Amino acid sequence: MPKVSMTVNGKRVSGNVDARTLLVDFLRNEQRLTGTHVGCDTSQCGACVVHVDGKAIKSCTTLALSCEGANVTTIEGLANGQDLHPMQAAFRAHHGLQCGFCTPGMIMAAIDMVNRLGFNLSEETIRENLDGNICRCTGYHNIVKAIQAGAAAMGGLKVAAE
Amino acid sequence: MRPMKFGMGQALTRVEDHRFITGSGHYATDYHAKGELQAFVLRSPYASATFRMGSLDAARAMPGVAAVITHVDVAHLGDLPCQAPVKNSDGSTPRAPSYPVLPKDRVFHVGEAVAFIVAETLNQARDAAEAIDIKWSAMPVVSEIADARKKGAPLVHEAAPGNVAFDHLMGDKAKTDAVFAKAARVVSLDVVNNRLIANYMETRSIVAEPKKDGKFLITLGSQGSHGLRNTLAKFIFKTDPANFRVVTPDVGGGFGTKTFMYREYPLAVFAAGKLGRPVRWASDRTEHFFACAHGRDNLTRCEMALDERGKFLALRVEIDANMGAYLSQYGPYIPWLGATMLTGVYDIKAGYARVRGLFTNSVPFDAYRGAGRPEAAYMLERFVDYIADEIGMDRIKLRKLNFIKPARMPYKTVTGRVYDTGEFAGHLDRAMEIAEWKGFPARARSARKVGKLRGIGLGVYIEACGGGSPEPAYVSLEKDGTATVRIGTQSNGQGHETAYAQLVSQHLDLPLDKIRVKQGDTNDTPTGLGTGGSRSIPVGGSGVMKAAELLATNLKTLAAEKLEAGIGDLEISGGAVRIAGTDRRITFAEIAALPGAKKDMLSTTAAFAPPEATYPNGTHVCEVEIDPETGETRIVNFVIVDDFGVTLNPILLAGQIHGGAAQGIGQAMIERYVQDENGQILTASFLDYAMPRADDMPSFTFETRNVPSTTNAMGLKGAGEAGTIGAAPAVVNAIVDALRRAKGISHVDMPANAQTIWEVLRSAT
Repeated sequence: MPKVSMTVNGKRVSGNVDARTLLVDFLRNEQRLTGTHVGCDTSQCGACVVHVDGKAIKSCTTLALSCEGANVTTIEGLANGQDLHPMQAAFRAHHGLQCGFCTPGMIMAAIDMVNRLGFNLSEETIRENLDGNICRCTGYHNIVKAIQAGAAAMGGLKVAAE
Repeated sequence: MRPMKFGMGQALTRVEDHRFITGSGHYATDYHAKGELQAFVLRSPYASATFRMGSLDAARAMPGVAAVITHVDVAHLGDLPCQAPVKNSDGSTPRAPSYPVLPKDRVFHVGEAVAFIVAETLNQARDAAEAIDIKWSAMPVVSEIADARKKGAPLVHEAAPGNVAFDHLMGDKAKTDAVFAKAARVVSLDVVNNRLIANYMETRSIVAEPKKDGKFLITLGSQGSHGLRNTLAKFIFKTDPANFRVVTPDVGGGFGTKTFMYREYPLAVFAAGKLGRPVRWASDRTEHFFACAHGRDNLTRCEMALDERGKFLALRVEIDANMGAYLSQYGPYIPWLGATMLTGVYDIKAGYARVRGLFTNSVPFDAYRGAGRPEAAYMLERFVDYIADEIGMDRIKLRKLNFIKPARMPYKTVTGRVYDTGEFAGHLDRAMEIAEWKGFPARARSARKVGKLRGIGLGVYIEACGGGSPEPAYVSLEKDGTATVRIGTQSNGQGHETAYAQLVSQHLDLPLDKIRVKQGDTNDTPTGLGTGGSRSIPVGGSGVMKAAELLATNLKTLAAEKLEAGIGDLEISGGAVRIAGTDRRITFAEIAALPGAKKDMLSTTAAFAPPEATYPNGTHVCEVEIDPETGETRIVNFVIVDDFGVTLNPILLAGQIHGGAAQGIGQAMIERYVQDENGQILTASFLDYAMPRADDMPSFTFETRNVPSTTNAMGLKGAGEAGTIGAAPAVVNAIVDALRRAKGISHVDMPANAQTIWEVLRSAT
């Protein structure tokens, strides 16, 4: 089995994997990082979103081998000790989650959205850019609010909780 | 109730969130046992067929394969039971078709399990499944309700003539028919309630581990571990439930359908016992469409008898409900339960519902968020708008003329429901005011100028939930002065850890992080009825509240002796008991260390037996804008005003309402499960089943207009399903309103998606 090496949440990791191993399985099964989830078989739901070299990707349709040498960040790598990432804090403050299963992917996609589009995101922009992430619990209302507030917080601005 | 900092009514963020936002939540699908084997289910490609299992030798000889389990291996196990049969009108209880753990030689729906393959790796199990040779012989298919009720239709089960699973009459038919015979006017409508898939984000899974003492540890996602333990033990393995410890960790959504027994559970337990090793099975998304209960799917004919003024005199309804190929755990109960809410918020003195369950070659049906009440509310509120249109009366006036007035409460309906409270015109007026109903004509004119069609609609619902059997709650004080709640309900995302902690804090005044809530382990609590029917707070919460109150009294009793004070002079604050108005206090931890602090003083239990259901009610107002060139419809405003009696936590409550409404909007506008005439599933993934996405959903304006319930001490009304129940009729009524204004169209069926609307507009003259 071929060997793959990458940096996951700042830590160098490597493993021998079946060539067909998906990144999500490498993270969940080999690295025991179970915060990244699998919600579908068709790359639709976004529960598996992680960052590879700073960009959001769906780890359920990415081969682990294709991430050789890459820098991977998962939901477990966002907080700095007890200090939550502003987007994590915003999801809690705005009740942007219920069962929590889609949440890691939502947060990773939201941070990517800020990286791409800036700190001042309109409701319309957020809804449009969330089309790769499905939530069955929240009706998205509070996710949109959370992302708006999280984006502002990442830019050093404050948005009052509703 | 006295306001407490972390108690009843406070808008507190959730204590459980930290683990979910940091990726440290622990779901059943994250659980692995040491040395576990992986299982794959071989499923039927046919909707209806006989089959002969060929030799299994080749599959069994494949690398890594530990077992190939077929019918012969599990024939000694009991069937999956239907635990809520509905009687026929003649009083007889129909016999449910056998629902074996694995079928012998006949399958009744696509995706039906026929073999369970266990191997060292999932890929090995999959490969072995390919090596199993089955001779299939296709049989005639009954795909949908319309096929099932055709004259001369093939029979799904020989023992069920006409494909009728049960035929039940509720209400007074003779009286109703007599009113119809004399009525000034009768209006009728056929409505479709489309078939839905729960599609919680975490698919089902199980890890079954055999223990040295012959018992099993079973880890699975559920809505209550006790119910599944009992069904497995009593009905299927015919053993003492104590032989199964069932543990449910964090649950990635349930919406009703994670409550039930499914074939993979006994199969995994059986395989683990046979092999002496842990066995894991996890569903993928497409399997969820094959192997988890489906929701809704009714064809309903409704008729209303009216007098000259538009007063509703009598309602008769014929509901044909799809049961699928077998009767699932509560399947027949769902349309029956919906029919008990037949007359909704209206004062109608005569009525009946004929509820028929029909077999089809499709996945069995069961409870999905709302379970019968969304179907009833949609039927009635769509119908009322249709009646208003037919008789040329304003739809608001028609509703107000027929509402049950507050002065009539408690009000007994023709189906025997007793509503305790409800001010329907109150929330209707408030919702219309927020939605600026009066300004609608001007908005419609502006939209028309840019070629868009606007419509506004509403639905006024009432539903029945939060009743049933008691749910014992256990509250105890720990040595360190913190408290623990144990209860047999099961959060699937609702936030029970926060909600129950608030109820405890109401009496113990502890911050929420000093109160642990334990659910999901059958070893922790002796019994549990699980989460369903919006019962966890009205029923479970009432028990928690009472148990906490008893504990508070015990703590004061213990403190009184130590502080040498009368109990009446003591108060609880900040994790201590103190003499009111002084600084003389004793902390909970110190109380727990007192010699008199025996276990029975520090651990209390209470269970609340509701005398009746609770009846949450409310108004949803929806405004839509349709592009007639494409049929594309946007919700431009959505207002909800609800009566939940009392609000425990406004943040959690709003979350339940938003999410519930989204599922109702999804049904109204885009969601639909489809089978072709051969019973093949055309929507078995997120690529072809339309799941609501952020861009499909509106922002919600939600407020409460609470009238406390009289059926529980806290005055609460259940809120877990109400959003789903109220939303769908409001959306469809808004869409029809737009279509009527443009083309005189008086009805469309759900899902009113772009294609449907485009076609309806094109075919209208």
